[in-house]
Amino acid sequence: MPESTHPQETVTLTIDGREVIVPPGTTILQAAESMGNRIPHYCYHPGLSAPAQCRLCLVEVEGAPKLQPSCVTQVRDGQVVHTTSAKATAMRQGVLEFYLANHPLDCPICDQSGECKLQDYVHAEGRKHGRSREPKRVFGRDDFGGDVLFYGDRCVMCTRCVRFMNEVAQDPRLTVVERGNRSVIDTFFEDGVEGSPYAGNIVDICPVGALVSKDFLHKARAWDLDHTPSVCPNCSQGCNIDLHVRDNRVQRLKPRANPEVNGHWMCDYGRHRYEWINRDDRLRRPLYREGGDTVPGEWGTVLSELLERLEETRPIRAVASPFASTEELATLRRVVDALGGGEILFRSPEADDEIPLPGFPQLARRRDLSPNRRAAELLGMKRVGDAEGRGGLESLADYTGTLIVLGDALADMDEGFGSHAALYLYLGSHPSPAATKADVVLPIPTFAEQEGTFINVEERVQRFWPGLLPPEQARPAWMPLGAILARLGAGELPATAAEAFLAAAELMPELMGLRYETIGTRGAILNEPVLVTAP
Amino acid sequence: MAATVKVMRRPDPGKTSYIRATLKGMALTFKHMVNPDKVTLQYPEEQPDLSPRWRGTHRMEVHADGRPKCVACGLCPTVCPANCIRLVGGEDDQGNRYPIVYEIDEFRCIFCGMCQEVCPVEAIHVGVHFENAEYTRERFVYDLDRLMEQDHPTTLLWDPSDPRSE
Repeated sequence: MPESTHPQETVTLTIDGREVIVPPGTTILQAAESMGNRIPHYCYHPGLSAPAQCRLCLVEVEGAPKLQPSCVTQVRDGQVVHTTSAKATAMRQGVLEFYLANHPLDCPICDQSGECKLQDYVHAEGRKHGRSREPKRVFGRDDFGGDVLFYGDRCVMCTRCVRFMNEVAQDPRLTVVERGNRSVIDTFFEDGVEGSPYAGNIVDICPVGALVSKDFLHKARAWDLDHTPSVCPNCSQGCNIDLHVRDNRVQRLKPRANPEVNGHWMCDYGRHRYEWINRDDRLRRPLYREGGDTVPGEWGTVLSELLERLEETRPIRAVASPFASTEELATLRRVVDALGGGEILFRSPEADDEIPLPGFPQLARRRDLSPNRRAAELLGMKRVGDAEGRGGLESLADYTGTLIVLGDALADMDEGFGSHAALYLYLGSHPSPAATKADVVLPIPTFAEQEGTFINVEERVQRFWPGLLPPEQARPAWMPLGAILARLGAGELPATAAEAFLAAAELMPELMGLRYETIGTRGAILNEPVLVTAP
Repeated sequence: MAATVKVMRRPDPGKTSYIRATLKGMALTFKHMVNPDKVTLQYPEEQPDLSPRWRGTHRMEVHADGRPKCVACGLCPTVCPANCIRLVGGEDDQGNRYPIVYEIDEFRCIFCGMCQEVCPVEAIHVGVHFENAEYTRERFVYDLDRLMEQDHPTTLLWDPSDPRSE
């Protein structure tokens, strides 16, 4: 091959008989992955350094005297790599047999079972029976503090957890002690990873069942869980997450890789705030006031009565929630505008400080603890109240016009709130004392039960998908609000969340040109040129 | 199309004798009374001989200290084609994984025996047993205590001397 003085733009190599073209500097493992060939590995993780110590990703490279660790070997032009040759396969089988020499094989009681890389690799390529006759060494389990439990016997010494704490969390609390087959991960002090705000990630990156979550311990089997892509609602960072759902209940939240938002990580603050989604005290049916009490009704009758009462002209004001989707907030804005225009207030909790992740500077637990505050602000809504998300609504206590409350639970308001309003419409997912004074209560789903978008702190609009079934007759707020709009002749009733988003874009120039398809699972930055293709 | 009707002639009751037919019938009855190869079983005084591979209602094996052998691994509810097993796992005071709730709806069960086949700790078995009558439907959902109380023999899902039925 003639020597070129210019740096090469691409490298062409052959992996298992197929040619692949990748940029220079790529490792063989990444090149293979780009063509769908996942080479088994433990110690390599795309978010961490690669120490090449698990010896499982060794592949045969023609011309090299020994097998090469594919996670650190960079590609060369004309390289010929075999990942499934007899030599490579025999090596993997041998390495896996060593891994099992001390592994307790307690898959039936192991929480990782079903999503365990050791299980997968041994099932695919391991020996049918182990040949080790020596007694296995036993460590038992160790409480690492926080949410983390360590089963030393299951560990494969990939040291991903140690490297995560050193490199990404930059809070070195774990290390390897002892040598040889007695080596084990351990903490320096009694409190372990307690208090380290990102320590939950070591459970995610552990390829086996050595590090497990106390919260999830024995709760569900991995194969029973449905995974729905979503966005973490616990701060304005908008970490991409997967809802892991079983029996229509969220069992745990796991980070979903998005290199531009959260990498592979999420904070423990967000990870453990999901129980409210599973609350059973929900608004299930539309309620309307008959005499002194609110009674359950049907959507059709409740809505038509509501529309009749809305036709009288009155001043209108509204309270929104920064936990509602962009579609819901924008439709509320349109309804308020169509009814003569009025102020929309929202309240949102704030933390004292940000909790950054030093090794991944884009990610932090933001001060702002609501997922969609940016959308509310872009829609001209005004934040009131304190950092707890309380107060600020005193001016509405004796308000006599039309009052619409969307999403805000009004937990701090007394029961008289809104009792002077000529028409008090409450759209919420959970019952609250203040909502009982409403003339009409419409049940709406939580973010986990509907499709929609959040706009995060860096003005990235991100989609979430429904992972749960909403309770009985709960419908996304853009549906009844859209029906009101249609009745007022101020717009059409959107049939889907995608249509509601397009209608929202008419109101928010920042969203122009964006569609659900273009946002996809990675999100899209507002005010950035987007490639608009003809429909 | 016109239907074709075949007219059967009835024997005339006044001209027909039934004595011959009656005697034939009685002869058969007496023959069965003295037949040594009779098939009638005097249940419940006599119990039927069930095959060792008979798959009846379940039973849970217990350890010597009375704990269930089940480790709540979740394989039986996963493999169950009738979806009749409800399992909620947990941890006991000794740190062992065990079933907090283990229920089998015997009405829904199709007695395929796959729960027994899949069990990694040989805890759940289908039994050589068939007398399951109850007064209420609810009693057919066997909970963990009831499954542990069962004492009928468990099934050999296959013949140990011929595991592949060859």
